[in-house]
Formats: sequence, structure tokens, C-alpha cells
Amino acid sequence: MKELEILFNRIVQRVNINLRELHFDVSPYAATLFPSDQMSKFYAFYGITPGHPLDLHFEHSALAGSYFLGKCRVRNSLLYKSDIRGDELKRKDQSIRFDRFTLTMNKDELIDIEDSALVKTLVHNYSHDPETPEKFFIKDTLAMDYSNIHGSPCDGTFLGPFATVDLTTMRDCVIGAYSYIQAGEISHMDIAPGTIWVNSPGNFNFFYKYPADALAEYVSLSPEKVPWGILIDFIEQRKIEFQRVFDYANIEAIESVPKTSSLDRYAVVLPNMRIADNVLISQRAYLENSSLGKGSNAQENCFIINSCLEGNNVTAHGAKIVETDMGSGSFVGFNSFLFGKKEARLKIGNGCVIMPHTIIDIEEPLEVPVEHLVWGLIKNAADLAENSISLEKLGTLHGSFTQGRMHFEGEGMLLLKAFKDRIFHILDVNGAFFEDGQKAGHAQRNQRLSLNTIQPFQFGPMEGMYPNIRILP
Amino acid sequence: MERYLVKDLMVPISEYATVTVGTTLLDALRVLERAQDAYTVSKYHHRAILVLDADGNVVGKISQLRALKAIQPEVELTEELAEIRRFKFSENYLAELRDIRSYGKIIKKETLLVAAGKKVEEFMQAPTPGEFVSEDSSLDIAIHRLVAGAHMSLLVTRDDRIVGVLRISDVFAALFHGMMAAAA
Repeated sequence: MKELEILFNRIVQRVNINLRELHFDVSPYAATLFPSDQMSKFYAFYGITPGHPLDLHFEHSALAGSYFLGKCRVRNSLLYKSDIRGDELKRKDQSIRFDRFTLTMNKDELIDIEDSALVKTLVHNYSHDPETPEKFFIKDTLAMDYSNIHGSPCDGTFLGPFATVDLTTMRDCVIGAYSYIQAGEISHMDIAPGTIWVNSPGNFNFFYKYPADALAEYVSLSPEKVPWGILIDFIEQRKIEFQRVFDYANIEAIESVPKTSSLDRYAVVLPNMRIADNVLISQRAYLENSSLGKGSNAQENCFIINSCLEGNNVTAHGAKIVETDMGSGSFVGFNSFLFGKKEARLKIGNGCVIMPHTIIDIEEPLEVPVEHLVWGLIKNAADLAENSISLEKLGTLHGSFTQGRMHFEGEGMLLLKAFKDRIFHILDVNGAFFEDGQKAGHAQRNQRLSLNTIQPFQFGPMEGMYPNIRILP
Repeated sequence: MERYLVKDLMVPISEYATVTVGTTLLDALRVLERAQDAYTVSKYHHRAILVLDADGNVVGKISQLRALKAIQPEVELTEELAEIRRFKFSENYLAELRDIRSYGKIIKKETLLVAAGKKVEEFMQAPTPGEFVSEDSSLDIAIHRLVAGAHMSLLVTRDDRIVGVLRISDVFAALFHGMMAAAA
């Protein structure tokens, strides 16, 4: 048995031990998860910048097609086409507030991945767990295709395809496919596919669950076949375009990108794109025949096709925007799927908040009015009426409120404020407000980033594994 | 009162409203109605029905609350509430949701007809271990069991047979009279 297989079996066992109380066995899903024949074919790569600490430590791991930035340690783990982005980690001497505590970092924060398997997974942001402020740990965890681990330390966790955990520490949890969880801290929870849960204890609690049958059309998972559905098909149909940017060591720069914007060299850009100032385009983003207005961003695994983003638009990790006109300042959350058609365009009004993991899939033109919060599955105007609320009305909610499959309890104003603060923060750190050399963010700083590659063993019992490496400045 | 035993206050099983397993809710309520009508000639006012198996053993009880639960379209509501409860919604929220979801769904001809045809064993309450008391027990023991289990009545046993029902209303009345006499 090759080392890759031994390591994989060990990880599966460790995850299963953690999830035994939930009677959840990851083995059937894991069996077809890693293309073992591909693990030696893709190089891994890492970013070097003057703005982030460089401290990479790889030990007894496979890293095929994965990207690293900042201070990361990977031990006894398998990563496949995953992005470990440590550009928002806390820095030595930085102070953060948590309740009544002020925590000062005594060293640079580290992303620490151990005994875990991540497939096409994005790891980003920083640990929001006040108990481990200097270590963003991912341990005994199996994350499937297009999942996002965003500011969420995990221990003993399974994430289904397109699952997102956001600003939440998790222990011994199962997060179903296409679920979005932002809840501070959870343990021993088995969360069904398509669950959208945003909980701030004492402030607000938002819950929506997709109808199982309807969600299954978009993403499904079973031990016999993993995963499939419209979302997977959508990505697979465009997969070939990524081969070009990953196959060549150097590709021609696109000159039409303004100096204040950055286009990652691992993004796909197809004609005819218009890119304004202060735009950030991250790696593995796919852009085609669209316009990105000033201050907009397209984060990892985004698809923007035949669409117009007016300006200051956030397209969060994994969001897909097709045949859509986005009004100024409108926000599209993680893994959302805005699927307009050529003859049925989607229009999103100014200042709208499309919640993470929202699906709008229409056959008739549809317009979301300005300043609305939108969630869940929407296929027509009636669905939109059921799954949206004006921000003005949201701000007045107090106590209990239910609409369709959505449940809300608490202060609507606090949920609204949380979204607005978060959107402002994202635009700010991405450099949307850069002007006269001030307020630089990722869009400006990423221009000073270069890339190195590392290769796995190509032959023998260690085929697909990477040598132990420590990379320091 | 201090010398009262359970058997002094219990309703004998022969005078209690009973049905057998397999009876529908509607037929069970008819039995209860007849028992209520007999109240004018009997001293016992019936609020519950005992369910007997084919050998005449008590296997369950139907209180008014159980009958209402049988009428409520519970399954869908219960699943939703159980799901929401896991996600840290308050009891107050759950109560309001229950009200919203139930509104206009119970007092409907279709709902009532479905409930009328339900078999008693589908919704009866099976006796729990703390729900039995010997006929020779003191009222102290009976009161303790009523309070600890929040029961409205206890099943009274003689050896391994159920011979009667001790109702909370009778215990309360005896207690009240005892208190009045002590204070006099």
C-alpha cells in the first residue's frame, strides 16, 4: 500500500472516531473523493509578498494543486486544489476585542492543518475563537468540494460539498451539503443539507432550510456517487478553461486592468471584460463577458458571466453570477447562485444583500427591488416575495418573525447592522476605497505578489506525497 | 384523614369508563359521554377512559388532553418544532410558531373526521412505572407520586391486578377537608 493511501485511511479513521456519537461514517463519501491518480500530477504553489509573514511548513502531506499564503503548517494531511489564504491572519502585537476582553497576540497567527483532508476547499480569514487567537486550527476534518472554512477553527468535522462555516468554531459536527453556518461555536451537531443558520446569541437568530427535493437538483450527495447536480455540472462545463492558466508557468498579463486593481494570474478571464479601478479578482475566479465596476471584487471560485456589476459589489467566495445586472453596493454571499438567462435577465437593485447560499434560478426576467435582503430558493416572483424582506422592514423587526420557510428571532436592526458592517469591512480590506495612495487593500497589495511552485514525489511508494519542507524568508 | 388508605378514595375499575384496544376515538368518546350521563346516578364524574387489552388488563389511558392531541395535526408541526429547537430558538418563539401553524387547522371537518377514525392505541398514554400505587398505601405515598410524576390520576393495584383509579380531584378534596378540620 502506498503512503498516500495509508495516510488517507488514517484521516478517514480519525474523522470517524470524532463523529461516532453522531453515527456518521465518512468512509462511503471518502472512497471516491480523492483522485489518487491525480495527486502526483499537480504542483502546489505559494505566494511571496512583502506584506505577509512567510512561514510555510509541510510535513507528511499531499498538496496537489493547492495554494498557500502567509503562515501555514500542514501535517499528516491531504489537500487537493485547495486555497489556504493566510492574508488576513492576526499579527504579532495586534489587539482584538472579545466581549470584555482585549486579547493581544504574542506571535503571528498560524493556520494549522493536521490529520485532515480538504478537497477544493477555501480556508480564509482568521480564528474568531478567543480561546485560540493565535492558531486557526483544522484538525481531524474532511471537507468536500467547494466548501469554505472561513474564520472557523474545526476539530472533528465533516463538511459536505458547497458547505460553508463562517466565524464559527466547530467540534465533532457534520455540516450537510450547501449549508451555511455562522453561529459562534457549535459542537456535536448533525446539520442537514441546505440549512442556512446565522445566530448571534442574545442579538438575533436567522434560520432557513431548503426543501430537500428542490435542493437535490442543485447539489446531491450519496455514497454511490459524489457529488452531482446543477452546481457541479455548471463548474465542470467550464473546467477546461482553468487548465490553460494552470498549465503554463507564465501567461500574458492582461493590459486592460487598471493599476489600482489586481487580477490573479490563476483567474480565468475571457472576452470581453471591463475592469474598473480598485477591483480585486482572486485566483480560481472565472470571468467572461462582464463588467466589474469600481471597487468590486470577485473572490475565489467565483463565476461572473454576461453580467454587469455597477460598483462596490462583493462577490463572496464561490458565488456565481450569470446574466445578471448588479446594482451599486449590492452584495452576493458565499456560494450563491444567481442564474439569470439570456432571455430572462436578473436585476438586483442597489444596496441589496443576497444572503450566503441563495439560489435564484429563473426562466422569466426578475427584478429584486433596491435595499432588500434575499435568501433561499427563488424561481419566480412569488418565491422572491416569500424569500425577501426590505432592509427598512428588517430594521423594525423585534421578537419573533416567520415568513415561508424562514424563521427569525431577535432584533432585525442588529442583523442588518451585522451585514452592513461586514460588507463595509470586506470592501475596505479588498481595497475598494483606495484613493490617492490611501486605504490600500488586497486589490493594491496583491500586485506585489509572486508565486513559487513545489512538486510532489513522482515515483515510488511516496508518489503523490510532498517532501517535508519548511519555507522561511 | 391520617388513617385514609388509597382504596378508601379510589374509583373501582368496574365503575370506570373503559374501552378495548381497537376502539376508535369517536367510539371511545361515546363511551365517555355515556359515563358522564350516568354521573347523575353515580357519584363519579369521569374525565378519562381506560384502555383494556383482550384479557381485561389496563394498557393505557385517554385523558381529555390526549384526545385533543389526537385531533391536532401533530406530525408536521412536531417535526418543524423539533428542528427549530435544535437551532437555539427560544421556547417563546416555539410557542408562537405552534400557534401560527395550528391556526385554522384543527377545527375543520376533514381534520375531525381523520381524528375520529384513529384507534385508541395510537394516542393513548401507556402507564409509566411511577403511575401505580397499591390499594393499601397511605395517602402520603399517593400524593408524592401524583406530584412527582405530574399525574392527574394513579392506577391502583391489588397484587398484580389493577382494581381502580385514584383521581387527583378526590385526593385534593380529602386533603382540603383534612386541612379544614385541623384548622377548626
